[in-house]
Amino acid sequence: MRLGSVSAMDLRATGFRAAALLAAALLAAACGGGERGSAGASGAAVPDSARRGGTVVVGGQAEMPGVDPLAPPPDYMAAQVERYVLFMPLVQLGPDMGFRPWLARSWDVSPDSTEVVFHLRDDVTWSDGEPVTARDVAYTYRKATDPDIAFPNRAYFDRWDSVRVVDPHTVRFRIRPYSQFLFGWTQVPVLPAHVLEDVPDSALATHPFGTSAPVGDGPFRFVRHDQGDRWVFEANPDFPAELGGRPYVDRLVYRVIPDEATALAELARGDVDLLLDLPPQDVERVRSESATRLLTFPASTYAFVAWNTRRPLFSDVRVRRALTMAIDRRAMLEAVRHGLGSVATGPLGPWHWAYDSAWRPIPFDPDSAEALLAASGWRDTDGDGVRDRDGRPFRFTLLLPDVQVRQDMGVMMQADLKKVGVDLRPATRDFATLAGAIQDASRPYDAFLLSWSEDLVIDDRDYWACDRKDGPLQFSGWCDPTLDAVMDSIPAALDRAVKRRLLRTYARTVERAQPYTFLFNEDRAVGVRTGLEGVEMDVRGELRTARSWWLRPGAR
Amino acid sequence: MLRYTGRRLLEAVPLLLGIVTLTFLLLHLAPGDPTTAYFNPNIPPDVIEQMRRNLGLDRPLPIQYVDWLRSSFTGHFGYSFSQHRPVAAVIGDALPNTLLMSGISLVLIFVLGCAVGVVQAVRQYSPLDQALTVGALTLYSVPGFWLGLMLILLVSTPAVSSWLHLPISGMTSIDYEFLGTWGKILDRARHLVLPVIALGLASAAGVARYTRGAMLEVIRQDYIRTARAKGLSERQVILRHALRNALLPVVSLLGLYLPLLFGGTVVIEVVFSWPGMGRLLYDSILARDYPVVMAATFLFGALVVAGNLVSDLLYAVVDPRVRYGEGR
Repeated sequence: MRLGSVSAMDLRATGFRAAALLAAALLAAACGGGERGSAGASGAAVPDSARRGGTVVVGGQAEMPGVDPLAPPPDYMAAQVERYVLFMPLVQLGPDMGFRPWLARSWDVSPDSTEVVFHLRDDVTWSDGEPVTARDVAYTYRKATDPDIAFPNRAYFDRWDSVRVVDPHTVRFRIRPYSQFLFGWTQVPVLPAHVLEDVPDSALATHPFGTSAPVGDGPFRFVRHDQGDRWVFEANPDFPAELGGRPYVDRLVYRVIPDEATALAELARGDVDLLLDLPPQDVERVRSESATRLLTFPASTYAFVAWNTRRPLFSDVRVRRALTMAIDRRAMLEAVRHGLGSVATGPLGPWHWAYDSAWRPIPFDPDSAEALLAASGWRDTDGDGVRDRDGRPFRFTLLLPDVQVRQDMGVMMQADLKKVGVDLRPATRDFATLAGAIQDASRPYDAFLLSWSEDLVIDDRDYWACDRKDGPLQFSGWCDPTLDAVMDSIPAALDRAVKRRLLRTYARTVERAQPYTFLFNEDRAVGVRTGLEGVEMDVRGELRTARSWWLRPGAR
Repeated sequence: MLRYTGRRLLEAVPLLLGIVTLTFLLLHLAPGDPTTAYFNPNIPPDVIEQMRRNLGLDRPLPIQYVDWLRSSFTGHFGYSFSQHRPVAAVIGDALPNTLLMSGISLVLIFVLGCAVGVVQAVRQYSPLDQALTVGALTLYSVPGFWLGLMLILLVSTPAVSSWLHLPISGMTSIDYEFLGTWGKILDRARHLVLPVIALGLASAAGVARYTRGAMLEVIRQDYIRTARAKGLSERQVILRHALRNALLPVVSLLGLYLPLLFGGTVVIEVVFSWPGMGRLLYDSILARDYPVVMAATFLFGALVVAGNLVSDLLYAVVDPRVRYGEGR
């Protein structure tokens, strides 16, 4: 299973439409103010009937490529619409990233963990009136794993071997045991077999199902799509009452507003109710205006510098620690993200349930950094301002994506490191070239700077495990056999407390070795118009609670 | 005239072929392809390979090129990689929006530009002329996107929005579907106001400068003196005798402004969230959506060629001395 992905910010600037799992690096605020997570405030006293009605307009930067869950390219926004608006996955992720029933009322796992039986709800129908049945689940599984379809996240079902429909509401799978086996079913919603099964594979990607005629079973139904402009959804009156029933709002509209200044003006005017992905520099404005409020939450994205420990320059842990201590990460976070995030304490960020709020980042301490460098043999013997050892100066190249923010970060690092006698040479690469270089088997780099989004279920063996040292994602080349044992037991751990302990051990071990300098964790920020209530967001996505959003009468 | 038009159309064929061939080469020489857009380690290499196969990117370049030519001759243009729809449908959605905005801008550019230019020429060196000159030069040097943003900010300030409630983005309001026929027309017109101003004002200022110069030249001619001597009213002298001659060089500007206008839509469409060709082209280049980029460049090229032809033909219409294709 693979984890994580490059943050969309790095992609976007090279020109690529956001891809990645969890991405779009923008936002949020340790810098004070701003509601964390929820913006529902005083809603409790308002009866259900008074919450009904109105249209919520959600503003976002990019058009969605379509809402067919299996068709590439993967898109952050489209995935949320598929998961929380138009369709229903079998299972949902709880706040602790545990699995909760959704379209599946329940599931049984055989004692040897090789068989899973899902019991589906019998009160869910597709928007064309057909019931949702086990046949739909089987169809979804077959297409998601069909090599000809090229479903990008096929790896979700790597350990799923076969499917059998037992009866209309029961479906049985054979699997190979894995504790996070249900994760794929939280990400991939069930598709309507009766609409799609007669469509030949080659025609599936261009079938109107994905763009102009989706048939769904989620809390909202498709109304219309005006290319490059908007997607319109309406409340599904038949959504099961047990799962919350019909959404409060009548309509949900996703509007594409590519220009950030225009989008902010629309939010301030009240023509947009919710603005996704606020750039850090706009956060203060949204917070201060009376017509809007700010919502921030930690994303699973962190910015880091990977040190190539295969090279002698970075093979010594004291040197890597010294470099981290020499970089003023707090100042960097303030400068490039206006404080929207937190200085990193290792690979596990505050978004994760196993994160320990008592963790403190390695301090910014140039004096200790100099002492550590001297202790490991790096001294400025020739008085040129750059430390040297055995006649070699401490000089290296830092690869950066061609994104302004990253280049700014490179320049700040250069200045910080210069003060401790280390000569950093920033080198910008377009994204395709950088991606090629960092995954190249010959590891042709000293260090590079990037931001990365973790999968919601942590399994980081591809980054650190000794047996994956030649894998494309073992960027640093550092590994530790005792850590391997810890990481191997994380996926299998079923007990919550055990799992938490293992994850924390993992995070601490990596932090101590500093194969990366973890720079900062990113928060995301969303602007909400006053009068829109019931909005709750976290790392699972911005639209997760869309079915319980409601508008105060004056805001409808 | 007919022969001339035919010859110009024939000349356009190798030109357009050159444009698409160059575009094709540039697209494929640029680093990355549509599958690079998902640098996501969750996606195994064999899936990426299959995606490339599904998009037909695994075939040799010459074959992809010939295939594209063949499909474009049938007017189909293939399928969009990023939008999962036929390219013809994708462009069919965007093109009318751009034509609407740039068409109205074009009218604004020439009507407003000529009117201001004429007024300035007639009142040369008056305070009005000087004020308009300053205004025109200022507008001429303002980039369209900046003007657009300033307009948005201006219209959004409470002082202005209380009496002038103009929409600042998109083509229609959220409740558009529920409006009556007149409501719909009015709604669309209101959405056009700001983008058209932002797109056209700078060019209108340019046309005004040009018209003023051309008029001043014409007004000094002997036949204008003759017209005045005949006792014609000043109005007739200016509008019937002077303007028609002064417009000759201005008409040839049309051919120059068309490419400028289409170029301008890229930025203006982003600022005003206008779902047109400019944004489509930009997004498609970023997504490496080859079929859409190819078709859109081809279309822009064809429109510019057609615009130039029309402006040359118009030249013959307004200037009786110009006769194409005769005596050759």
